[in-house]
Order: sequence, then structure tokens, then C-alpha cells
Amino acid sequence: MTVIALTEDQRDALQEITNIAMGRAGALLAQLMGSFVHLSVPGISLADASNISGTIAQTVGRELAVTAVRQSFSGTLRGEAMVIYDERGCRNLADLMGYEDEVGQATERELLLDVGNVLVGACLNGIADLLVSPLSYSPPTIIAENAEVDRLINPDQLTWDYALLIQVRFTLEIRDFTCHLLTLMPEESISQLKKALDAFMESI
Amino acid sequence: MPTPILVVDDSSIARKMLIKALPPAWDVEITQASNGNEAVAAYRAGKADVMFLDLTMPDMDGYAVLETLQKEGLNSFVVVVTADVQTLARERVRALGAAAFVKKPVDPASIEAVLREYGIKL
Repeated sequence: MTVIALTEDQRDALQEITNIAMGRAGALLAQLMGSFVHLSVPGISLADASNISGTIAQTVGRELAVTAVRQSFSGTLRGEAMVIYDERGCRNLADLMGYEDEVGQATERELLLDVGNVLVGACLNGIADLLVSPLSYSPPTIIAENAEVDRLINPDQLTWDYALLIQVRFTLEIRDFTCHLLTLMPEESISQLKKALDAFMESI
Repeated sequence: MPTPILVVDDSSIARKMLIKALPPAWDVEITQASNGNEAVAAYRAGKADVMFLDLTMPDMDGYAVLETLQKEGLNSFVVVVTADVQTLARERVRALGAAAFVKKPVDPASIEAVLREYGIKL
């Protein structure tokens, strides 16, 4: 644990880098949705595999059914990113993007994937740029539809014990729409990340 | 006499990056604040002829700082320094009295440009 825990400076640097990256993602979302987007202060924590669902539920809230899009990334840093939409967010998405009629399930899924892809790309590329560590991505897939938050991840299928969890929240001002972007980086990536953060701090 | 300037950001790394990006020849006395409340206190103490202000902060954010300053007569040249690059964010902080808007990560040229644009002596 002590080896993978970030120092205070590393955490501060990661938070600032994430803040800058999510600013870009937020601006793209604002453009797509035609609304001002409120950005949260990024949350950074170390997540324990056995307790990961509880940690995510704490951020996202347990009351609502959620739909989630997942993408994995690789490069010097590897891990997974998830965009989680709550029920209302899903319902409002097509409408917000200018679709006037009721859209079918296929279109709705496509929009969820597209928006997820835009947010993950902008946010993680932003982090990767600042850390000079290019990433490549798998195509996004929907991993849950109207599911309970607790069911998003099956702890038995995880290949890691600890992962670094970065959480950011985008809230639209004009309509009821919130989505969460979660990034999980397993142990072996954390030491790479720490090195990259140290190099970043030395460069400033 | 050095110009009293205030650097407001919840991240110490971000404050360090900003301070390093200031024009080296500019004679300043730097105060740092890590949240909105500290910023307002330093402003009231006369330590902020120029204020570099982050927007996204826990507790009291940059918008709330600008609102407070406006109520108190806004006796400061405020440069908003933020990762929020939405056009509306820029318009909003201008409406709240900010003089300039610089996006993160800051680069020395953009800081110098806004200071010169407003005739601040460097």
C-alpha cells in the first residue's frame, strides 16, 4: 500500500492535471449540448478491489439506475475509463443533442457511446499530453443499462487488488443531466504514473 | 514599491506554475491563497492590486470570490486563470468584473500579454 500511495505533491499534481484535462472535455460537452457545464473538483483515491462498487456508489449515488460505457486504454499508463449516466441523463441525452422525435434504442445507445468516447478521449488525452505519455483506446462498449450501481463491476473478475481511481463529474446547467467519468489504473500503472508525475513536477 | 499580487488556487502545484510564469522583471510582493475565503481576506488586507484567480475550488469558488469583490467595490485587477475553457465561463467572469481570462496550463507569454494590454507596469 505505502509503495503505491501517491505523495501529497503527486496527488496535487494529478488533481491539477486532471482539472486541466476535464476542462477540455467539459468544453466539448458544452458544445455538444449547447449548455454551460459545471465541472467538479476531481476526486482521487486508492480503491480496493473488494470494495470498488461501494466506492463508485458513493460518488454516483445508489438511488438511481445507471447506464455505463467502458473503454480501456493502454500505453505507458493502462487502465479503464467508465462514463456513467443516470436514468434521467440517458433520457435527456437525445433531446439535448437536438433530436426532436423519440429516438430508438439503437440511436440512444449510439449517442451514449459517442458522448462517452468524446469525454474519455478529451480527458485522458489531456492527462496523457501533460504527462507526455501517449495512450491508445479500445472502442467504447456499453457494460450496463439501467442497472444498479453495485452491479457495474464484478469484483471477482478484477485482475488487480488496488487501483487508483480518478473521478470527475459534469453537470449540465440547463437540464437534468449529470454524468461521471471514472478512471481506474491498476497497481502496475501507478508506479509509472508516479514517475510521470515526478517528471512533470520537475519540469515546472 | 512592489505591486501586491495575490495568487489563488486550491492546488499548490498550480500556484507554483502561475508564479513561475510571471514576468521576471515585474516587481511584485506575492501572497498565496488556497481557497476563496483566504482570497477575500487577503484582498481586504490590501494584498491584491492584481489577483490571479482559479475558478474551480472547493468551499468558496472563484465565481463567489468575484461576487464578493463586486459587492465590496472591486478594487483589484482580476485575471481569471482556469481550466474551464467554455466560452460562457469567460463571459460570466467578465460580467462579474474580471479584467482578463487566461487558460491553464498557463504560459508566460499569455500572462505578459494581458498585463501589458491593461497597461500594468512591468
